[in-house]
Amino acid sequence: MSTPDPANPARHRVASPARLVAFAVVLVIAGGAATSYLVGQVGRRSAAATAAAAAERSRPHLDPAAVLAVPHVVFRNTEPGPSAGKLAMVPLADPGGPRAFGQVGCERVYATASAGFCLTADRGVVTRYYGVILNSRMQPVRRFPTAGGPSRARVSVDGRYAAATGFVAGHSYAAASFSTATEIYQTDTGRGLGNLETFRIIKDGRPYTNVDMNFWGVTFAADDRTFYATLATGGHTYLVRGDIGRRQVVTLRANAECPSLSPDGVHLVYKKRTGGPRMWRFQVLDLATEVETPLPEQRSVDDQAAWLDNSHVLYGVPGNGPGVAQPDIWESPISGGVPHLFIRHAESPSVVR
Amino acid sequence: MSTQNHPDLPSGGPPEAVTPEAAGSAGSPRVGRVAGAVIAAGFVSFFTDISSEMVTAVLPLFLILQVGLTPLQYGVVDGLYQGVSVAVRLVGGYFADRWRRPKLVCLLGYGLSIGTKLALLRVGSASSTSLVVAVDRTGKGLRTAPRDAIIAASSARQGLGRAFGVHRAMDTAGAMIGPLLAFAILAEIPNSFGSVFVTSFWVAVVGLAVLVLFVPDLRLRATGGAVASLRGALGLVADRRVLALLLTAAPLAALTVSDGFVYLTLQQRLSVTNELFPLFAVGMSAAYLLLAVPAGRLADRVGRWRVFLAGHVLLLVGYLCLLLTSAGLLTAAVCLGMLGCYYACTDGVLAAAVAELLPDHLRGSGIALVQSAVAGGRLVSSVLFGLLWTVLGGQTPALVCFTVALALDLPLAWLLMSRTGRRPVFPVRPGEPGPTRPAAGDEREVDRVDT
Repeated sequence: MSTPDPANPARHRVASPARLVAFAVVLVIAGGAATSYLVGQVGRRSAAATAAAAAERSRPHLDPAAVLAVPHVVFRNTEPGPSAGKLAMVPLADPGGPRAFGQVGCERVYATASAGFCLTADRGVVTRYYGVILNSRMQPVRRFPTAGGPSRARVSVDGRYAAATGFVAGHSYAAASFSTATEIYQTDTGRGLGNLETFRIIKDGRPYTNVDMNFWGVTFAADDRTFYATLATGGHTYLVRGDIGRRQVVTLRANAECPSLSPDGVHLVYKKRTGGPRMWRFQVLDLATEVETPLPEQRSVDDQAAWLDNSHVLYGVPGNGPGVAQPDIWESPISGGVPHLFIRHAESPSVVR
Repeated sequence: MSTQNHPDLPSGGPPEAVTPEAAGSAGSPRVGRVAGAVIAAGFVSFFTDISSEMVTAVLPLFLILQVGLTPLQYGVVDGLYQGVSVAVRLVGGYFADRWRRPKLVCLLGYGLSIGTKLALLRVGSASSTSLVVAVDRTGKGLRTAPRDAIIAASSARQGLGRAFGVHRAMDTAGAMIGPLLAFAILAEIPNSFGSVFVTSFWVAVVGLAVLVLFVPDLRLRATGGAVASLRGALGLVADRRVLALLLTAAPLAALTVSDGFVYLTLQQRLSVTNELFPLFAVGMSAAYLLLAVPAGRLADRVGRWRVFLAGHVLLLVGYLCLLLTSAGLLTAAVCLGMLGCYYACTDGVLAAAVAELLPDHLRGSGIALVQSAVAGGRLVSSVLFGLLWTVLGGQTPALVCFTVALALDLPLAWLLMSRTGRRPVFPVRPGEPGPTRPAAGDEREVDRVDT
């Protein structure tokens, strides 16, 4: 639109030499600053990794076979060092003591006496997520793709089914909105039973469909077909009871997330929203009387609890350190008493007796 | 739009479009080369999109691993600010006209967004994240219309489609590179989100430098001393051709299934795993990138609204392909290709079509108005599709509804545009300023201020 001024063509030059020089200076500064930051990060990380590796070598370790032979806790190790992110085990008798490390790296892990299930991510330009079925010795036997970033993992009591919840990154990388995908798998074949959204959903006694529907946090009952989970739809969350054989879930009550069923099948522990977007409070539900009582743990914890025994639960709480949140496993009685630290630098616990 | 509407324009194109430094490929001899300002604006968007898509791609991961937000909370935050962006866009367009310095509003918008890259290093809660995202979206909303106004003001009327095509191609290229760069950094330095944010910041600084140094600071003085006013901006709707374009574009946007739902349908029909999801967007962007310039040139030759409507016809072909053919990789390729064609034929082309209709002093407001109408239409579409999905119990019936409705609306749109499309642009009425864009060689009342 501007008309070149024939008397002064330089006025209309978009790129005068002075500006090109100025731009070159900006490029050099920006490139230099970004490169030096990245190089600095790589250097700091490799120095930290070397120190962590030395620290890990200096700590005593246990033999996995010895730990497997006694009642033990399976969890994800978050101690800095070469074994960070790996499956680890400690005897129930000395949870704070030396650890035994497995071979697989897991972002979430759960184990029973007969099988284990581990969710891993192969992060890169295209991130791939996998579910890994573990045998009773916590060795990988089967791997299959799963949907989304690892969130919750569970195995049924006899090891026949495994359940995974993943965060599915929105519908394109441009849209940051998200949903979850939850699926139950047969551990002997790795075959999935389909997203829980494809199950028949009975809400308040009637069949229910909605585009806005997300499931998460499966917990299995001992009968090998009943499970509990969370259904989120229309801005509310619901505790649901599912039946694998009938491919059906039924809503039980509102405002309950990530349920966990006690070994005796008497109680459920779940997160309940108490107002404020980040505020949860663990609740204990007596399934027979439907009486709900708060867990002694007062903090807002975002985890699916695991049962230590019929009256104590374990869960991960982010540590206070800077950088990547480094969680610890805490223990709380379901009534009375106070929570206490159970295993430092660890998350995703499960108890195998 | 064909040149027959502007018999006063010489066939060689107005000389103002010809800048010796223009780095674009040699254009058609009829309209000269792409203006240097367009290439400069293209580079600004290229770097800015690399920077912002780097952050967008890793933000969900960052919020979960380090801030401890749940994804669903973030989804709510994100949806809310899509609406903020639409409203702020109108403000940006209006003030670009009011101050008559679109570059100033652009600087404000880009500046706001740059700050958020470093602020992300410090966020630690849901509320601070919301605030940072809100500021970033506000910046994006502010700068869009003024930037398009600069592109329009720097280009020959006959070359508007190509100019916007060039800009959108560069913009899309940046959007494709950003996530790749971000994940490459995370692959080398695991969990180092700070590295991604700092790199993103410096890339944005380069984009801002291009804006400051190479995008001309046009000081628009409209012919006849017309001044932008809120009333004038709203009065644009009274112009038959602007109104026709609004009445065409907004309903079409409302009947266009959002990309997310198309990808989802594609994913379910092909039963591909979620990790291939990002590749859908990459495939679509690749088609958009390749076709943006050819579609813009075609629009300049045969008429912008024709290409705009043809883009919707191609989209319809994509929907039919999705509905009628058996699932396969070919279906995916055709569908994504058609989606890319649709964007190439509509996004930049619509900006060109509207820019052509607007008087100089209201260009920012007018472009913002039409873009907001389209964005509003897309919001309606998302809600409508979700509603139909729920009521009809599946996405295939919902897609059928949208396909039928789009097929019915297209002839109406064609009728509307072909009836108004032949009328002259802002005809000279007695006592009013002449055509807003006088022939080349006239004394133009635009100053270019060296910065």
